[in-house]
Amino acid sequence: MKKFLVKALALGGVAYAALFAVFFFDLDGKLLFNVVEPFLKNHYDNMERKDMLTMPYDMDKFPKYEYEV
Amino acid sequence: MRDLKHLIYFENLLQEANNELVQQAKAEGKYALGYTCFFMPEVLLDLPGCFSVRLRAPRCTSPDIATYYMSGRVCHYGRSLFERALEGGFNFLDAQLATETCTVTCRFQEHIQQKHLDSVKDMDVIQNDKFFCEFTDVPFKKSGYAVDYYYDQLKAHVLEPLKNNLGVDVSDKALLAAIKQHNEVCKLINEIGDYRKLENPTITGYEFHVIQLVSLVCPKYLILPYLRETAKEMKTRKPDEKWPFRCKVVLAGSENDDPDFTKLIEGCGAEVVCDRYCYGAVESRQPIVVEEGEDPLRAIARHYLDTSNCPRFMPQHTMRERKQTLANLVKEYGADGLIVCSNKFCEYWSYERVIDTVVMKRDFGIPVCSIEKEYINTASGQLRTRFQAFVESVEIKKIQEGN
Amino acid sequence: MDFKKALKDFWYGKPHGERRLGDNYLPKTGLYKHREWRGVKDTFYYFNKIWLYNYIHMVMDVMKYGGLINFAKGVWRYRWVGQTYLPVLHWFDRGMEGMRGPAMKASAWHYRAMVNATIYQFMTMFNADTKLHGGKKNDDWYHTMAHKETVWGGIFYPWSDKFKNVSLEMIPYFVTCHVNSHTVHNYIDAVQSIGLPGDPCPMCQAESGLYVLDDIPDYSPFMITCNEACDGSVSTAVLQDWFNDKPLYALAMPMQFDDPLVKKYCKRDIEECWKFIEEQTGVPFNWDVMVERLESQNELQKFEWEKWEVAAKTNSYPVNGVAQALYRIYQSQFGDLPIWHFVDSKVRPIMERCVREKTNTFPNTRHRVIAWSCAPLYYSNWCTWAYNCWGLNVIINMDSLMFDMTIRTDNYENMLEDVAQYHMWAPMRRMAVGGMHHIFELWEYMERFNCDMVAMYDQLQCKGMQGVHGLFEDEFRDRNVPAFWIPHALPDSRTVSRAEIRRLISDYMTTVMHEEPLDPSLLELDDDMTW
Repeated sequence: MKKFLVKALALGGVAYAALFAVFFFDLDGKLLFNVVEPFLKNHYDNMERKDMLTMPYDMDKFPKYEYEV
Repeated sequence: MRDLKHLIYFENLLQEANNELVQQAKAEGKYALGYTCFFMPEVLLDLPGCFSVRLRAPRCTSPDIATYYMSGRVCHYGRSLFERALEGGFNFLDAQLATETCTVTCRFQEHIQQKHLDSVKDMDVIQNDKFFCEFTDVPFKKSGYAVDYYYDQLKAHVLEPLKNNLGVDVSDKALLAAIKQHNEVCKLINEIGDYRKLENPTITGYEFHVIQLVSLVCPKYLILPYLRETAKEMKTRKPDEKWPFRCKVVLAGSENDDPDFTKLIEGCGAEVVCDRYCYGAVESRQPIVVEEGEDPLRAIARHYLDTSNCPRFMPQHTMRERKQTLANLVKEYGADGLIVCSNKFCEYWSYERVIDTVVMKRDFGIPVCSIEKEYINTASGQLRTRFQAFVESVEIKKIQEGN
Repeated sequence: MDFKKALKDFWYGKPHGERRLGDNYLPKTGLYKHREWRGVKDTFYYFNKIWLYNYIHMVMDVMKYGGLINFAKGVWRYRWVGQTYLPVLHWFDRGMEGMRGPAMKASAWHYRAMVNATIYQFMTMFNADTKLHGGKKNDDWYHTMAHKETVWGGIFYPWSDKFKNVSLEMIPYFVTCHVNSHTVHNYIDAVQSIGLPGDPCPMCQAESGLYVLDDIPDYSPFMITCNEACDGSVSTAVLQDWFNDKPLYALAMPMQFDDPLVKKYCKRDIEECWKFIEEQTGVPFNWDVMVERLESQNELQKFEWEKWEVAAKTNSYPVNGVAQALYRIYQSQFGDLPIWHFVDSKVRPIMERCVREKTNTFPNTRHRVIAWSCAPLYYSNWCTWAYNCWGLNVIINMDSLMFDMTIRTDNYENMLEDVAQYHMWAPMRRMAVGGMHHIFELWEYMERFNCDMVAMYDQLQCKGMQGVHGLFEDEFRDRNVPAFWIPHALPDSRTVSRAEIRRLISDYMTTVMHEEPLDPSLLELDDDMTW
């Protein structure tokens, strides 16, 4: 049990230190800026999109929304 | 066609806001009441003892001081009016009946208003001791309660200030007299304008534009004799044997008090047969109907909300109806196409123009030319190219349909 | 090398004048070579309680409000969420640069609230969105109400026990600009590509562009729109109606809102709007829920007033200019949410302690600044830079002051009266495009908040504020008030860059105020490509 605790603590410590390194050296920002954002941007730029100019604009589709209050 | 007898006179009246007839009315002791927007009912400003002047700033190409106050990034029309006011061109005004119906004209009117605040100086722009500026709030809807709302506003912010500050008679009798005079102007303008519906119209868009404008900027009682005479003259006016244009168009869009713009379009071969824009006749020259037993002020409030097709109205059915109304005008006037213009920096018409450009063509089959213009159009070369191309495309369409 | 000094700097962080924060940046990107060392205590607070805490809570929020699958679908479908919300911790960094102690802590809590509110809203949209659920209208779709972002969330309180309300543009457009300003360019360009000129308000352009690119979720059977705050907002309604093609109610607010006559009709329109909602949802107005939520919102307003008191009368206000502005406008416009109360409960003890101990929370303040008019969305953190570089401490801003009221709940009439007033003071409407009286309330607030300088935002495409530009110039001159202009185009960072904004402020500080920068490394930065 003690060994497990020591191991867990050590692992936790390493993870904490690694996370601190990610934080301090802005590795999250660098990953997002250089890898994730360009990838997603490429995806969004190449998505098929509906041509919204084909949306109907029917003159009588909706009633007058007027009420007695 | 033979020249209209009074056309040159009318053109001259449009050179200055404080024109010959305005000066004459002032000399006769009448109060000059300025306004900018359709939603300030001109009929109320034409009550006995006063007269309406829809403000223009003709030939104002360089509004330098106004640009200092309002920056160069707002509508040229608003800036030009302010420049003209700063130059003293509106000192003849006894009051400005203002509306906050678009941002920049609102700002212009706020600048000339005596605000009596500690937080900001009054600029004392209008050099007239009597002068005051009063704002009316205009609803965004046409429903029954919007008419009540508008009615209350007109009463509190137009009639009462006119009565209290200038001693104007605002009784029902006076209102009915003003409506009668207004309706006569409408009848004459419509009579003259209806000649544009002929297959070979006996009046050009430019001529009509000039006539419509003088009816807005001159005292009604002084311009009426000229309008009567012009309407009579029109009855016998013969068209040119060969129609000098290549197609007919409806001109829709934002503020336009520049007849030279209409002339420019017509110079490219498109006759402007209908004017659905601010300062146009489609809405402003519809007669006011007072129903049996109806309060005349309420009839006026109802009329001005009902007749307007301003893109400021937001209810869903009203926004959609506007397209149908525009399509109906194209049909009624036998036009071949539609020119939709927005003034640079006019937000209402920038958006309206986008949707009109797509929907009018797609859903109603109407060719559309979409233009952004300035208040005073100095860059006429570019516009001419656009209009010429449009006229050609309409002609090609007509040929194809003929085949 | 002075080891004693190095050790002191390590333990406490470098003093303000020696930090050279500008040297931390990688060229162009705005990324950090390394994040700022704020001393042991504050660095580990930032790491544990801000960076780690917020990353963990972002995941937890997503799971709480709809699950990772819906989130992943949303990220894949919508640019505005995928491209924008991932670098959210960088948004914290930009806002909190150079902050220490209570100022860092309280400001970061404000950011946390905004992140939670944002996740709540986009997950609500994704849960209901037919575009993410194979075109199916699920139960959430029938229980979510869509509205324009300038419609105050309080309008929907009477149904809040059964329905959620989410504004269409707040998340896809407005919040994105602060976090990642790149995204919105796509939408502005899209609407211009269908013929809209470049000069209307870029905020309205971006809202319309979302539709043009089919990037608006379909999460509600109907929509409430509004004319606030300007002509551009009125005009976008026509494109919204076209592209939405759903029942639309226009909640029209009077323009001359000081006129007592208009109130009657404003109230009438709100009541008609409620009838519309009843008709669309089939659920009646619930007075008890309305009262409960309004009273809860009133609590938020009361604490905000306490904050203003501290900001106005002491040097112990622990919230920086950007956190104050963004939190307040978000909270007052969205309306009541549990997270606002939670965060206020965290900020209160920090602020009370500062007051008790007379802590000078921004010790390098040279000028107490009031920021007026509409702020640049892509550079809302300019005030953090201005404090670090020049000691300009933005105490309060116009957006914070717009909703200066609680709402009575003693009876229906009083409630309606106050709801109408609150709504008429909509974002930007009251001061930016309201009457002259409100625009020039600046002097009153300047005095009240004990400010000696004005940061005057100059939204180049706001017709209302451009239309009074010269009057402000005249008043500044006549009153001998030090004021600098910050030109910008709300979300569009291409019109006036961040570097240009900094240059204009620095020029003013050197040529007019004859002052030296506190941190010269911040004078020239190349952060053109930053989020």
